[in-house]
Amino acid sequence: MTARHRPLNPRRITVLAYHTFTQLVRMKVFYFLGAFAVILIAANFLRLPTHAAPEAVGVQLLYSIKSSCAGAMTLFSIVMAIVATGLLLPKDVEDRTLYTILAKPVPRLDYLLGKFFGVAALIFVSLLVMDLLMTGALQLRMGGVLEQQRAAGEAFGHPPEMIEAQLAETRALGPTWALQGAVFVIFLQSVVIISVALLLSTFSTSTLFTAIVGFLVVFIGFFQADAREAYFHGTGVLGKIGSAIMTTALPDLQLYKLIDAVIEGRPLEAFDLLKVTGVTLFYFVVYTFVSWLVIARKEF
Amino acid sequence: MEPAVEIENLTKVFPAHFGGRPVRAVDRVSIRIEPGEVYGLIGPNGSGKSTTMKALLGLVAPTSGTCRIFGADSLAVDSREQVGFLPENPYFYKHLSGAETLRFYGKLCGLRGKSLEARVDELLELVDLVEARDRRLGGYSKGMLQRIGLAQALVQEPRLVILDEPTAGVDPIGSRQIRDLVLALRERGITVFLCSHLLEQVQEVCDRVGIIFRGRMIREGRLEEMLSIEDQTELVLRDARPELVEEIRRLIEAADGAELVRAGRPRTTLERLFLRETVDRNE
Ligand SMILES: Nc1ncnc2c1ncn2[C@@H]1O[C@H](COP(=O)(O)OP(=O)(O)O)[C@@H](O)[C@H]1O
Ligand SMILES: [Mg+2]
Repeated sequence: MTARHRPLNPRRITVLAYHTFTQLVRMKVFYFLGAFAVILIAANFLRLPTHAAPEAVGVQLLYSIKSSCAGAMTLFSIVMAIVATGLLLPKDVEDRTLYTILAKPVPRLDYLLGKFFGVAALIFVSLLVMDLLMTGALQLRMGGVLEQQRAAGEAFGHPPEMIEAQLAETRALGPTWALQGAVFVIFLQSVVIISVALLLSTFSTSTLFTAIVGFLVVFIGFFQADAREAYFHGTGVLGKIGSAIMTTALPDLQLYKLIDAVIEGRPLEAFDLLKVTGVTLFYFVVYTFVSWLVIARKEF
Repeated sequence: MEPAVEIENLTKVFPAHFGGRPVRAVDRVSIRIEPGEVYGLIGPNGSGKSTTMKALLGLVAPTSGTCRIFGADSLAVDSREQVGFLPENPYFYKHLSGAETLRFYGKLCGLRGKSLEARVDELLELVDLVEARDRRLGGYSKGMLQRIGLAQALVQEPRLVILDEPTAGVDPIGSRQIRDLVLALRERGITVFLCSHLLEQVQEVCDRVGIIFRGRMIREGRLEEMLSIEDQTELVLRDARPELVEEIRRLIEAADGAELVRAGRPRTTLERLFLRETVDRNE
């Protein structure tokens, strides 16, 4: 018999991913989380315009919309990535549905990847919805700000070039491509976290354990670059190796902080985006590989 | 022809947990099942039936020995192409309906399109769940779950079906439905490997049985050979007048060497009575 059922069959992974996606969508617990995030973002449509000094207020307003939306998206994506992923495997083991799946010609790697892509797809779609809402809110509120600024400029008798320059500056704070890039970076961050949670759930049997350790890893992830700097600074080759091991074992999430920079209105360099994408792929491949090693030997 | 199941000297030792002793769940068990046979593994709880089946499906790795399905090693994914499995007390995804469940497992086996839909319809018909096809499994009864599980195991038309306690926790009507399904599988030449601690049901469907106890195979053989009492003959009469019975009695007494062990009315089983008074009444 030839090896017809090699791992990494795209169709089989899609079937499993689609199933995971449906499973999570039909799990009503996550509706609350999603609704909460959406309300947080949609609230930006409703806030009343202020009548204070237009330059400062306009900028402040757009910044606060962006940061609150990005905050909601980040929080949602992290919680989803950890909790949803942490739920899946222990549930399959406990309910013995895993037996029925692995008793079909399904390689264990494909099973893992199906779970991964299912959660990733759900987060991607949710972020897309939130992104649309955020962009709509920004667009609307920016229109108001621009009008105010134009009126104020004209009242002060500023020359048209100066007014235009100011308006252009304001537009850079609105819905830009860089902002879309930042949302993509939020997604990439959740890809890393899903990979971590998946790895954790291959050797834990409880969702609670996965969730707690998962949040801990994320928390450390945001600070580990500083810790590494402090700990391994000037320790030579050995230090470099130790530092490399630490960044691989625990994901360095400081890289993903470029979201904040974009929100403050700084442009997103193509190189940075590429770098973050590369790092994300690295973590995804390493963690999935280790997950596979664990689950390939596991007995149920 | 290649045997459907070939288990050779299977031993499975589970490592010790929290200071306990290692568990030798299966101890040098060998089973060979020819294509088309219905084989029953019987034994009390904890005697290693499920572990043997899991090893055959590659869900646990043997400590020593080998398992093969139609010649393919159980640890290889390919061996699972020709096998359907119904685990003990299965729970399927509650968020899926009956039809969705079968579609999901069918797609995992590479089925799709019209042939998949046709297969789903056919299976729902077979296990008598057409009415419940669009209901979520969360609302299924135990017997319905067991039947959807059986349908799931059959989805890619495997040549071998492995059933772990298929009738445990199912009421007599449900378990008769399952028994009939197993008999239907045998008609179609599908090999069935089932295990149970409910002996009567094994007796009704199996060609060959193995008795496993504390991980060891105690006895194995064809059912009728194992059960027939060599030196006895049974005679069941209908509408026999008492005079006829008396006459037979006298003949036996007159004959040399033969002895009447027991005479009287054969009893039906409670299960048969139950079925006669419930289901069969409406039929
Ligand atoms: N994963 C496991 N870890 C440790 N012991 C196990 C495991 N699975 C089964 N056992 C033990 O192996 C023995 C046989 O179990 P099992 O095969 O489930 O029996 P049966 O199906 O005949 O009731 C039991 O003593 C059980 O406790
Ligand atoms: Mg069992």
